[in-house]
Amino acid sequence: MKDFLHNTWKHRAHVLMALPAFLILFFIMYVPMAGLVMAFKNFDYTLGIWKSPWAGLDNFKFLLASKATFFSMTRNTILYYLLFTAVGTVLNVSLAIAIDQLLFKRVAKTMQTLMIIPVFISYAAVQFIVYAFISSDTGIINNMFGTSTRFYTTASLWPWILLFVKVWKDTGYGSVLYMSVLAGIDASLYEAAEIDGASKWQKIWHITLPSLVPMITVMLLLSVGNVMRSDTGLFYQVTRNSGILYPTTQVIDSYVLNAIFKNSNFGFTAATSFFQSVVGLLLMLFANGVVRKIEPDGALF
Amino acid sequence: MANKNDLDLAPSKKERFGAGQIILLLILLIYTLYCALPILLVFIAAFTDEASITANGFSFTPEKWSTAGFAAVLRYGTQLAKSYAITIFITVSGTFLGLLCMSLFAYAISRKDFRLSKFLSIYLIIPMLFNGGQLSGYIIFTSYYGLKDSLWLLILPLCVTTMNVIILRTYIANSIPNELMEAAMIDGAGEWRTFFQIVLPLLKPSLAAVGFMMATAYWNDWQNALLYITTDAKKPLQLLLINIQKSIEFLLNNNNVPAAAKAAMGGTIPQYSATMATVVAVIAPIMVIYPFFQKYFIKGLTVGSVKG
Repeated sequence: MKDFLHNTWKHRAHVLMALPAFLILFFIMYVPMAGLVMAFKNFDYTLGIWKSPWAGLDNFKFLLASKATFFSMTRNTILYYLLFTAVGTVLNVSLAIAIDQLLFKRVAKTMQTLMIIPVFISYAAVQFIVYAFISSDTGIINNMFGTSTRFYTTASLWPWILLFVKVWKDTGYGSVLYMSVLAGIDASLYEAAEIDGASKWQKIWHITLPSLVPMITVMLLLSVGNVMRSDTGLFYQVTRNSGILYPTTQVIDSYVLNAIFKNSNFGFTAATSFFQSVVGLLLMLFANGVVRKIEPDGALF
Repeated sequence: MANKNDLDLAPSKKERFGAGQIILLLILLIYTLYCALPILLVFIAAFTDEASITANGFSFTPEKWSTAGFAAVLRYGTQLAKSYAITIFITVSGTFLGLLCMSLFAYAISRKDFRLSKFLSIYLIIPMLFNGGQLSGYIIFTSYYGLKDSLWLLILPLCVTTMNVIILRTYIANSIPNELMEAAMIDGAGEWRTFFQIVLPLLKPSLAAVGFMMATAYWNDWQNALLYITTDAKKPLQLLLINIQKSIEFLLNNNNVPAAAKAAMGGTIPQYSATMATVVAVIAPIMVIYPFFQKYFIKGLTVGSVKG
């Protein structure tokens, strides 16, 4: 212990250096963690979080009783995660390979630059772009096909619309990581395969894909930790937060955001938040554990 | 990549112009159009005559062009100018503050004989695994810190993130030789001077990557603004966009708004082309700056994925 204090004193400059970030993390990230006790309280704004009376597990009982809200938003959260991850991974990998295979390198570079741009546009702006395509009177899609689909009131279409938007926004960016792996593949492997008479497809199948597998595994596993968190802007902004669409578009994050604005039902929302954080923690620990077993370099800790 | 091509290629003419390459090029071209056309549409719509949008809808080939949209934005543009100032302020100050705090922290925990660094690393990782969520953050920030409507809530929440500190720490561990810092110490430089004169300059590529990612996060942040900012003078660009959308919706959903009220709002009713012109004003700066940072951020992304 004395040693430790001595060492810390010797490194007092380093302690001081770490202090600003330490304090920001403390006030922004750590204090709100304590706020999760709200889930077990009968929250009253005038009393604040700590002084509100305890409610035991009442809030969670409401949660389980409200099938429509809680189950539907949890189901949506998980299904969208599965859909986006499955389609996203396949497209990210295919796009990376396609760009890597293209022999017109300068064209490939320009195309990649254009493909990445959407990731830098906020959902508050994307929302207007989507509107230009699917608004019922002035939208391009209805005009082009001479239809009059009312997209903003047809819930069943939204999984598709959101998938299209998500792919548009994130695929170019998502492929960058895989491209960097492809750039690192030992060229002599391809040469050897060529000498052995391998075709283009054989090379992709036997060399390119296998060398991407570790990265794919790591990315997939790490994403498991975020199953309960969604791209809030996609579900809140792009849908214009329209209540009619909630059955297919409400996810946990957008529900909580709405609850804050409606200033109501804090016990229920706190219980939802608590559920989200705890499940997230368990999934994260599980995912990291698995990654550490199979691909130690990819583990977060 | 260059290496591989030198070896692998020396492509025969047949290989270069083979049908396979042409098909691949076409597929990629179609995907590129899928990414780029929606953005192009925003620019076209911003220059389209309002009447042609109401009559024919949005179009890539409008009947009549017009700069009225931009003129309208400039006319009631004081709010736009204010929002620009706010967004630029939080983007610049947040990015600099964040880079400074995070690189100091990353440097401190990468010192080998610093015993506290183990604790600090765990302290850094925990927020990535577990967090209080939006609701508890909202209540703590507004009623306990009393920061409702404060620009601090646009700056601090995005300022220090675990992933970015890890990227910086990895870069320090892998790319800045320890001997360099030891030599500086022997020459009599203190810890602070070593950091600012030796480490920080060498950290530049990584700072550029992280800085660019942070800047876009600040520029695009709508959620904190929507949650916390209420005064017009403090509204950043993204919140301005959200407000425009809300007021359009209000007008559409309220056919019984009295004519007098409508006339009174006349100056601020956002028209389609004016709205798109605002969107252009919001997204254009990033699109202009991004190509210059592309190589840094691609590198940063790659470094961050390999743990040190």
